[in-house]
Amino acid sequence: MKADRVAALVGKELREFRASPTAVLPVVILMTISMLLPFIFLYLVPRMTGKSLTSDPSLQQVVTAARAYLPGLASLDAEEATQSFFLQQFLMLFLVAPIVGAVSLAAYSVVGEKQGRTLEPLLATPLSTAELLIAKVLASFLPALVAEAIGVAGFFALVSALGSHAVFQSLLTGRTAVLLGIVGPFGALAALQGTIAVSSRVNDPRSAQQIAIILVLPIVVMLAGQIAGTFFLTVPMLLGVALVMVGVWVLLIMLSVALFERESILTRWK
Amino acid sequence: MISAHAITRRYGARTAVDNVSFDVRGGEVFGLLGPNGAGKTSVLRMLAGLIPPSAGTITIGGRSFTRDQAAAIRGRIGFLTETPGLWDNLTVLDNICVYARLFGMPRPALAAELVLRPFDLWDRRGDRAGLLSKGMKQKLALARALVHEPEIVLLDEPTANLDPQTSRMVRDLLLDLRAQGRAVVISTHNLSEVERLADRVALLSCTLIAIGEPAALRRDVFGRRLRVRLASGYPPPKQLAAVAIHAGAHDVRVEKHELSMVLESLEAGTPAIVRRLVDAGAEIREVFEEQPALEEVYLKLLHPKPVPVDPRRGARA
Repeated sequence: MKADRVAALVGKELREFRASPTAVLPVVILMTISMLLPFIFLYLVPRMTGKSLTSDPSLQQVVTAARAYLPGLASLDAEEATQSFFLQQFLMLFLVAPIVGAVSLAAYSVVGEKQGRTLEPLLATPLSTAELLIAKVLASFLPALVAEAIGVAGFFALVSALGSHAVFQSLLTGRTAVLLGIVGPFGALAALQGTIAVSSRVNDPRSAQQIAIILVLPIVVMLAGQIAGTFFLTVPMLLGVALVMVGVWVLLIMLSVALFERESILTRWK
Repeated sequence: MISAHAITRRYGARTAVDNVSFDVRGGEVFGLLGPNGAGKTSVLRMLAGLIPPSAGTITIGGRSFTRDQAAAIRGRIGFLTETPGLWDNLTVLDNICVYARLFGMPRPALAAELVLRPFDLWDRRGDRAGLLSKGMKQKLALARALVHEPEIVLLDEPTANLDPQTSRMVRDLLLDLRAQGRAVVISTHNLSEVERLADRVALLSCTLIAIGEPAALRRDVFGRRLRVRLASGYPPPKQLAAVAIHAGAHDVRVEKHELSMVLESLEAGTPAIVRRLVDAGAEIREVFEEQPALEEVYLKLLHPKPVPVDPRRGARA
């Protein structure tokens, strides 16, 4: 594995995104929605309906149960604890958004090279299959990571502007760091590697996208389970999830290299 | 430098290349000829290490495309694919620089400049490749194949889409590559181009039909024939044909004011035949050894039925 060759290809992919900015539009749109959605739910909806979130008894049951598991909720009053609980759950959107957005980039990645007939000269270079596929994953991952960082920064700026200092402080926990800094990136890498594996086997980007979206389902289940109070993901549990994601990513690298058949790509693609 | 031994390539039940063997030396231009579907592109892909032969062996500089060696061998090869395969959204310069980096060139920008200038693409380096004309794209693809100064150059239809001036430039470039000692393999339908460039040609139609120097192939297929071009139709050429036969020529053909014939020895027999024809009253304008175009050799080998010989490309005996 030569880092120079991977870097050369990643640079090429990023220049292609820059040349056609609409390619990164899904990432930007999803990140913007992820950033704004919790504030619409927490601040705009109560004002429009005239009902406070604390007035819902079933919701308060969930928040009360969550106080035992989620750090930072214990010292907050009912209103702030409800806000903090929901904001912590909505942070999970920052796991889904980069995956869904980057998947649209990655899905086109290998299929696009096939369609543009650019893969054959590329395969005639010393570039190995693993280098090619890792470069493709990283090239989709980096814009998603930057968009995630900007989205998270915007999210915290809005919490600071609209919420109380106590709510803001309650979000600055190890759980948030693990969720956004470890689970998110490795989840995205695993999803992207899966997408690239699919992309190298199918004939059009839509197929790759549709199959890859399945990878987002576990995160949606986690989000729904937490909001419903079925379970709460603590830091050790999140670290476990991250470890699983790393394992899945490594397995998917091996699988995608095995699935990438230079020969059939060159000879069956017309 | 390149050695292909008994290579066969099958795609499922279909055999595209069957038991083909040849060697290409450094400093040699080797032409691959054949109709569509003859297996030329498959051969080039096998030589480039893109697909393995189903049977047989290929060695490049004495090394085979094993898992350990494949990347290193591909680093020595420049491959112009059938379609240019450019990244249309990237600039001309970026298209080259990425490849220079992939091939491990220490100064990619300089390597790109050195290869773009001869193709008159340096001034267009900031343009997106997608905006170039077909010919320019072909030139850019060719520049890309040469950016890492490969020892082995494999070219699939190198002058496709090029105007005559650029085609000539490409031919000159290939001759330069030959002079530099590089092994050049070109696959093309342009027979006159191969005739001008190639030291040896291989005629493929799934199997290897013929291989050799163009002149040798001509001799093997058509034999050596003498052509006598007469100044007028008097004495009648048919009468002069009889004179030639009487003087030892055989298979004498009459075409308008020209006679075509086979002699036992072209060098020894020509003066005597000319003398006998002049004595018979013939006014001779030209005498030369027939050089049928490679196209005729090609057609005759692929379709072994009589093909009218076009002697226009001639060399004086």
